[in-house]
Amino acid sequence: MIGGPLIVILFFTSLMDNGQPTDMPCGIVDLDNTSTTRAMTRKLDAFEMTKVTAYYNSVDEAREAIQRGDIYAFLYFPKGTTDKILANRQPTISFYYNGVVMLAGNMMYKDLTTVTTLGSAAVGAAKLSALGKTPVEIKAFLQPVSVNLHMIGNPWANYNVYLSTIMIPGILFLFYFLITAYSIGTELKFNRAHEWMRMADNNIFVAIAGKTIPQFMVFFTVFMCFSWYIYGYLGFPHPGGIGKIVLLALLTVLAAQGFGIFAFGLMPSLRMSMSICSLWGVVGFSAAGATYPVFAMDSMIEAIAQLIPLRHYYMIYQICIFNGYPLSDAWPNIAALIIFAALPLLTLWNVKKAMLNYVYIP
Amino acid sequence: MRNEKGLFAQIAQGISDMCYIWWLEMKNTIKDEGVLIFFILVPLGYPLLYSWIYNNEVVRDVPVAIVDMSHSQESRKFIREFDASPDTHAAYYCNNLEDAKNLVGKQAVHGVLYFPSDFQKQIARGGQAKVDVYCDMSLMLTYKAIFQSAQAIALNMSSEIQKPKSGGFTNRDDELNTEPIHIERIQMFNSTGGYGNALLPGVLILILQQTLLLGIGLAAGTARENNRYKDLVPISKHYNGIFRIVLGKSMCYFMIYCVMAAYITLCVPRFFHFTSLVHASSLVCLMIPYLLSCIFFGMTISCVVRYRENVLLLVVFTSVPFLFMSGISWPASNIPAFWKAVGSLIPSTFGIKGFLKISSMGATIQDMAEEYKALWIQTVCYFFTACMVYRAQIIAARKHAIERLELLKKKFGAE
Repeated sequence: MIGGPLIVILFFTSLMDNGQPTDMPCGIVDLDNTSTTRAMTRKLDAFEMTKVTAYYNSVDEAREAIQRGDIYAFLYFPKGTTDKILANRQPTISFYYNGVVMLAGNMMYKDLTTVTTLGSAAVGAAKLSALGKTPVEIKAFLQPVSVNLHMIGNPWANYNVYLSTIMIPGILFLFYFLITAYSIGTELKFNRAHEWMRMADNNIFVAIAGKTIPQFMVFFTVFMCFSWYIYGYLGFPHPGGIGKIVLLALLTVLAAQGFGIFAFGLMPSLRMSMSICSLWGVVGFSAAGATYPVFAMDSMIEAIAQLIPLRHYYMIYQICIFNGYPLSDAWPNIAALIIFAALPLLTLWNVKKAMLNYVYIP
Repeated sequence: MRNEKGLFAQIAQGISDMCYIWWLEMKNTIKDEGVLIFFILVPLGYPLLYSWIYNNEVVRDVPVAIVDMSHSQESRKFIREFDASPDTHAAYYCNNLEDAKNLVGKQAVHGVLYFPSDFQKQIARGGQAKVDVYCDMSLMLTYKAIFQSAQAIALNMSSEIQKPKSGGFTNRDDELNTEPIHIERIQMFNSTGGYGNALLPGVLILILQQTLLLGIGLAAGTARENNRYKDLVPISKHYNGIFRIVLGKSMCYFMIYCVMAAYITLCVPRFFHFTSLVHASSLVCLMIPYLLSCIFFGMTISCVVRYRENVLLLVVFTSVPFLFMSGISWPASNIPAFWKAVGSLIPSTFGIKGFLKISSMGATIQDMAEEYKALWIQTVCYFFTACMVYRAQIIAARKHAIERLELLKKKFGAE
């Protein structure tokens, strides 16, 4: 109950400890091989994310290296590139990157754009300064319209902040679902159901409360430890403040337990309820819309996504904690989690029936 | 007794026992609801659901709020082009940043463009005009869409402004002055840059492994619970050797999963038009060791699990970490050595890599030699571990049976 979440928390946070992937392997196909192309290669290599690991004799060889997975991208200088630059005949340099490994490809493309823009800018800057222009004038001439980027909340584009805050809670949700359903179902399985109900005077509310309150304390502690670890120790941004973090932890645990009990009441068999819980929980990772946004999915899937507790967790997290907006902006999501927590009211009678009448069938 | 029979007779007996166990396992699989769900329903249905989620592939028309303090021709031109870009959409016009910020909080927009009041003035007087782009960083894909669109438009406008100033005589001169080197950007193997194309092959292969682990674990759990002494291996003349048990059971799983693997690797990508460059020979060469290593891995794990439902707990939560270990989202070159080592114990790590190579990148068997070898090594290792744990099970079963016998003897002796 505690070991599993601990492993997962350590796995994700240590996997993406760097925040952004660094030194990704890149190949070079340099058929020109002049000081100009070599200088560009060196500049590209000097970037943090890209590392030039291999030189190839032809585009075909480099393509095969991408297929083998040795490199994620390569830069191709055709023969005569430098001649064309000097003669002002606009050479073409090609950057091939692997679209299947999206993160790597996009990051390296960014580095390359910077290198080449700087390369062309350097040519222009030298010319202008020879004409006697001031640095301010040169800057204005080279880039008359510039974009001033503000990455709100995560200025480093840190993937640990981005992914760990949604993947780990997703797995915690799964744990909570499964353990709740499991703990109720095992009463049936080991023929302890009657005894359990007798202890609660046949009152299902008392029986469930007695079972879930101690679990709630454990789950809540685990979630708070996780919150402390990422916000307190690793220092992930949380302008929303501690109040909202605690509230979200509370809502998460209650909603997860509510869903677990609901699933068991829906199909009072240990196996079926756990299957529902696991299928629901796993779909959540995609349907939460943290990686691929929900508004870009088909409208039917958009509706289904609302039925997943993790989706609402993510919305409350990003609106209120990550971006620091007031809770009122996320009220539909808060209401949704409360509804999830209240779902057992619909199926508790069935849990009771099952406990008193059913026999475990393997 | 064994010496009396010839070697061939023994082998023949073994094969017939294996087939008996194979047949029995098939029967149990079909009768057991839980196993049936994970062997048949989930592999059939889940890939469809996932493909559907990612079917739109790319993010279009990300809503953005515009705060235009400049109200000039140049700023309006920027906004028009920004709105016309395929990935972004100027959804709201606000009078100040505070209004725009509130729209982000209400999730109406995912970013803000801010034009300062001197935007056109700077351009006209030859200075540097700035446009501020504020991005909500809780979604990387919308951030990418907004930033890249704004960047492209700024570059375009810049070169338009530069042209008259750079003193060229012909249009070609202008082009050369603003772009001395032409950079070609070629995205290979996933030319649309689609999210589904990048992620889905990995998910599909992982589904094969996880459902196999779940199914085998549940089947073993049921067998154990139905057994009188809670043993995995019943006492029967057919269950008289490790190899026939392990092979017999695995034949059953392999038979079912040949069909499932064909469906998942060939039909599903076709339904949803994902990139699929597989050749029959390389696909078969990858899937046989992959399925076998998953099966033996599953059988090894199933012996550890005491109650059938515990396997659910164990397998389900590992799904997402397994996906990350394969390097499909976080690049494999940046995975810490420790997790790489853990990942190399899991069949899916190599299965996903190999499948991406042959299906998404059209690689040949030679290109995925590393994965191919690793999977066969895993198959052999897990086969022997499966045999070992089954051997322990057989010994336990015999011990229980003998104990029972002694008990009965004592009972009758006492009477």
